[in-house]
This record gives sequence, C-alpha cells and structure tokens, in this order.
Amino acid sequence: MSGPGQLSRRRFVGMGIAAAGLGGLAACSKGSSSSSGGGKVTLRFSYLWTGQEAKALEKVIKKFNQSQSKIVVKGVSNPDAQAQLAAMTGSKGAFDISDNFGSATGAWAEKGVIRSLDDYIKKDSFDLGDFTDSSMAQCRYKDQVYQLPIAVNNSALFYNKKLFAAAGVQKPPTTTSEWAEAIGKLTKTDSKGRLTQLGLAGTSGAGADYRLLGVTHGGKWYDNGKPTPEDPGNIAGANFYVENVIKKYGIKEIERFVSGFGDYQSPQNPFYQGKLAMVVDGEWQPSFIKEFAPDLDWGVVPVPYPDDRPELAKTNLVAPGTFFIPSNSQHPDEAWEFMKYLVSKEAMLSFTKALSNLPARKSLLQDPAYKSITNFDLFLDLLASKNATAIPSEPSLAQYTADLATADDKITRMTKTPAQAYAQVAKAAKSYG
Amino acid sequence: MAEATLAGRRPRRRPAWAGLAFSSPWIIGLVVFMAGPILVSLYYSFTEFNLFQSPRWVGLDNYATLLKDPKFLGSVFNTAYLAIIGVPLGLAFALLVALALNFPVKGQPLYRAIVYLPAIVPVVTASYLWRWVFNAQYGYLNQVLGSIGLPQPNWLADPMWTKPAVLVITWWGIGATAVIYLAALKQVPQQLYEAAAVDGANGWQRFWYVTWPALTPVTLFQLIMGVIAALQIFAPTYLLTQSRGNAANGGPGDSLLTYTMHLFHNAFVFLKMGQAAAMAWILFLVIGLLTSFILLTSRRWVHYGSE
Repeated sequence: MSGPGQLSRRRFVGMGIAAAGLGGLAACSKGSSSSSGGGKVTLRFSYLWTGQEAKALEKVIKKFNQSQSKIVVKGVSNPDAQAQLAAMTGSKGAFDISDNFGSATGAWAEKGVIRSLDDYIKKDSFDLGDFTDSSMAQCRYKDQVYQLPIAVNNSALFYNKKLFAAAGVQKPPTTTSEWAEAIGKLTKTDSKGRLTQLGLAGTSGAGADYRLLGVTHGGKWYDNGKPTPEDPGNIAGANFYVENVIKKYGIKEIERFVSGFGDYQSPQNPFYQGKLAMVVDGEWQPSFIKEFAPDLDWGVVPVPYPDDRPELAKTNLVAPGTFFIPSNSQHPDEAWEFMKYLVSKEAMLSFTKALSNLPARKSLLQDPAYKSITNFDLFLDLLASKNATAIPSEPSLAQYTADLATADDKITRMTKTPAQAYAQVAKAAKSYG
Repeated sequence: MAEATLAGRRPRRRPAWAGLAFSSPWIIGLVVFMAGPILVSLYYSFTEFNLFQSPRWVGLDNYATLLKDPKFLGSVFNTAYLAIIGVPLGLAFALLVALALNFPVKGQPLYRAIVYLPAIVPVVTASYLWRWVFNAQYGYLNQVLGSIGLPQPNWLADPMWTKPAVLVITWWGIGATAVIYLAALKQVPQQLYEAAAVDGANGWQRFWYVTWPALTPVTLFQLIMGVIAALQIFAPTYLLTQSRGNAANGGPGDSLLTYTMHLFHNAFVFLKMGQAAAMAWILFLVIGLLTSFILLTSRRWVHYGSE
C-alpha cells in the first residue's frame, strides 16, 4: 500500500532529486521565442514525466508535429513540481500546457491558476462522455472542466501464489474476513519471535493506504466539499489494518522488519522477495514485475470488501494524470488543439501502453493492445466498475492530505485509535476555509 | 598641473552623489533584492495571499491561526530540540576535536584535513548518504552497534530517534567549527601555560583557567552562529522526509517537521504565503531576541584579552 494519494512512482523517481536542489523556484526556465519562422506557432509543453515515460511522450509529440502545419510543440521534461508552480505566476508563462494530477484541480482552479476549458469544449462540441466518470470527477471544479485526463492509476491486491500454496491458502481473499484469515496464515516468525514474512504491509512502510481502505469499507473522505474524515467507513477501514496487522504483530517488530525492505523499484522489492505475501499496489506493477522479478508467481484481485457489504465489491480509488493550460499560457488556443490530440484515443493508447498506466477513455478499456500486459485486465475492469471512485479535488485537498498523513502515522504507531486520530483531523479541517 | 596645485590644498568636500554612485550597485541590490522583499513579506504576513490572486488584508489572523496550529507548535518543539541539545553538544564535540588536533603528533596536518573533509561534502549528498547509514536493518551504524551489543534503534522510522539522527548528521560536518577552535587554541599565549605550570596547575586547571577563558570570544561567535543555523535547519530534515512530489511530509509522527519546513509547506504546498510570511517574521524576531540575549549574558562569561 503506497500511503495517501496514489501517484505513479515511476513518474516521481527523479523528483526527489530535483526537489533536493531546493533551487526549484529559480529553475523555471524562460521559454525561448514563442513563435518561430514559417508562420508556425511554437507551443511550449513542460511535463513532469522523466526517463522512459518522457520518451513515450516525445513520441506522441513527434506524431502531432508531423500532422501539423500551424503548431510546433516543443516538449521539455521538468519533474520539479515547484518550478512548475513558480512558472505559473506572473503574466507571461514559461510554458503553454503542462501536466499534473487531478488532485490539483480544485486548489488551482479556485486561485485562477489554470484555465477553464468549458468554452473550448463548447466551441468544439468536444465529447466528454468517453472519459471514465471517476477520472473526470477530479478534473472538474464547481461544474467547470479544468483538466483532461490521460493516464489513470488505481490499485488492487497483489498476492504471491507460491507463498499462498505453502501456507495452504487455497484462493485469494474476496471478503475482509477471508483477508484477515489469509494475513494470519501468511505471516511467519522465526524461533526468536522475529518476523520473517508478513501477510500484508505497505509497499515501503508499516502503514497502509488508509484512503483506499476507507472507501473499500464504504467510507467517503469528502461530502459536498466538506472533509468527512470521521465517516464510519473510513474508521472501519483503518481499524481493519490495525486489528489484523499492527496489533497482532506489534508496531516495533513490524517497523524493524519493514526497515529491511529493499528499494521499491528494484529486484529487492519486498513483494518480489517473498517477504510480503500480499500488498496493495498500482496497475504499473505488472510491468515492474516483468522487469524486476520475471520469475515471480503472482496474482492480483480487487481489494476485499466487508462480508456484509457485497455491493462494495471492486471499490477502487482512481487518480488520473491530467493536462491543463495555465492561465498565463501565451497560446491557449493552440494548447487546446494539442490537448485534444494528447487525450485522443490514438495518443492515449500509445502513451498509456508504454507506461502500463490505465487509459482514461471508456472506449479503450476493452482494447486488445493491453492484453500483452499480464493481469492488466483486472485494473481495466476495476476502472470500468461503478465502484471506481476518486477523492474529490477540493481546494483544501493538499492540506487535508497532509493532516490525514499525520493521523495515519498516529494510527499505524497506535498512539491514537483511528476514531481519535480522524477526530483530530475533523477539528483541524474546520479552519481550512 | 592640476595635481600639484591640489596637493597643497585642503581636500575639498566631494559631492555625495559620487560616493553614492560608486556604491549604487550594492545599494540598489540591497533595496531591490533584500530590503524591498523583506518589507513586502511583512505586509504579506498580515494578508491572505496565495501567490496567484491579490493579497487580502486579514490583520493579525495569520499569527493567531499559527498559535492554534498543532503542527506549528510541533515544529517549534522539534526545532527547539535540535537547537537546545544540538548546539551545545556540537560545540563541545568541536572543542574536543580541536583539542585533540592540537596535540603535537606526527601527521597533524593530515588529521586536520580528515576532520575538515566532511564539512566540504554538500549537505544533500551527506543526507542521502546518512539515509543508508541509518537504515535500521542494513545500515552500517546499526551493524556496529549490534556488534558491540548495543540496542539498534530504528533511526529514521521511530519518532524518538529521528531527531538524534539529524543531530548526528549535523555533527558530522563539525570540522568547520573545530578548525575555528583550533585557530583560537593557537592564539592562547604560551607564557600563560608556563606561568600556570610554575604555579603547579594540573591539566584540568590549565584548561579551565587558561585555555577556556581564551576561547570564550570564539565560543560566543560559534554559539550565535550555531543557534541561528539550528533554528533555520531545513535541508537534512527535508531530504530525510521527502519521498515524492509536492506533498507535505514531516517524517514519522511529524518528528522531523522543523520550523522552516513547516514554513516551506505553508508557502509552497498549501500556497498560504501569508501564513508563511508570518512564520518568517516570528522566526526573525526570535533569532533577534535570542542573539541579543546571548550577547547580554556574554558579559558574564566571555573574556577578552586585556592588551
């Protein structure tokens, strides 16, 4: 489980280092001349993706440029989110179009940082119906569309088939009681009582993805724009993990065990190593496993639902990667033309396939092109489910997320019960304004 | 010639504008890039300002909100912890190192270079390096501790141990302080030691009555610089906690959320520039007060040589 907020990890590999420069603010590059010869408009496209993903995106850009007589897109990979933000202040922007996550929509739209796309959508009768509802949910703020989604993340429960067989667990869990039982059977200790194998833990820490567990237990994090951390479902979700993992094996011992986990994005990932029998992780994992642990015998199922609430089956949290036009874009009209291409079926398919991310378009969910990725169909199926949901992109989301992360930490460390910890967040949330 | 006649005369008062013109690069820099922004930040601290829309006057609201913000209070505690424990211990370590380096042994310059070396390693590199050293299971530090039968704390995951870990990182770069102490040690007049020896002073007495008084001016300087640096500590804690994107992370149990980190989160993650400006001004005033306080007490314990 990857902690609050599901972000594609790959996308942020370079980010820590970029942020470490701390000179992020100064790093906003001045765009070169905004229009070049031949009457073509040069569109500056700054994106957060790096490495392989940047390459995949450059391919898309190249194709667009070949099809164009009026616009030339110049792509720049800049994974520094602070630089991106800094470039959007002032009247002349350093780029005309860029990407972020749906989670940024509310905060930015409210402050006028990004353009509403409504006029363009109306003018071109652009069809939004093909985008999955959960992806679009994070692109809207106050009934206006501010971003368009391309690559979507969600997560599910990965399990190690070999360890399951060794522990005598016949099938992966579908309900929370089966899940609890499996966790017990798949956790092993040595003669000194030290953990050698854990049934379930976070991908790189002792805590769980409490946002996801909340919704799979029927919880909601926002209701009508107001934070609702104390929703009974949210508390039940956290309690599930506390009761079945933290309390049972002891936070000190779990932390000791977890601290020995190798790098997430390496063959030393604890799930690949068989140290973790189950883990909640994202749809990018199938291609990661292929790269780092090709011999791993694994399966993936939806995160289990509470026994008495079968209607919650296949509940999953969706986090779309999105494109936006900053308010200080020098060529918003051309940026819109390019954005239409970026989220077109053709570009979306080529980009998401290369990233092993999910496409935001319903019409692509059945596309045979994704068949080559092992078990990817489950994630496509989850995204298509009516129980695919997203945390609403409210202006207070960043602060709410930070306060929830503090509460999550208290829950994991058992200094507060989930009910107490989320009550504190509810109190703090009153001052978000 | 003009020079000849001028030489005999009383120098005429030159117009002030010439001097101003010559120092204008500095003055313009100060006003435009320092004083201006500093004053504007004072104004912002009384407003609600998110970088993108014009600031809205809210009076003392930002200051009042901060005093009720548990994260603000937590960050004050964390920073005070690092300053109150870290600075005196750091100075003591540096002094011990300097005393050791002052022993007349062979290869002294080499040892001095080795002690100073970590101080030139960039803090980013050092912090990432220490992340590995502190790894609870594979880290060198715990391997050493384990081999001599000491407990092996979970340095970077246990809120009780994260701040000591940061202190170790800052002490690692102690060479700069030690070198200044070493220079001060060389300045202690030899005849004082000789006189003390004649009077039958032992090693401790020689240190306490001769060496230490001579070192107090340097200690005052290092203390003030150390306190200011500790109150502004940012890079090591930020680098130990930051794991992804533009999210506010204060480490396990917010135990590494230092004052400047909370300021940074307010400013650039939550886009609450007004509150961040208020925090900056509180810090500025606190540093001013603490420095004055240390200077005031210094009359009691700092000895300047009477030459």
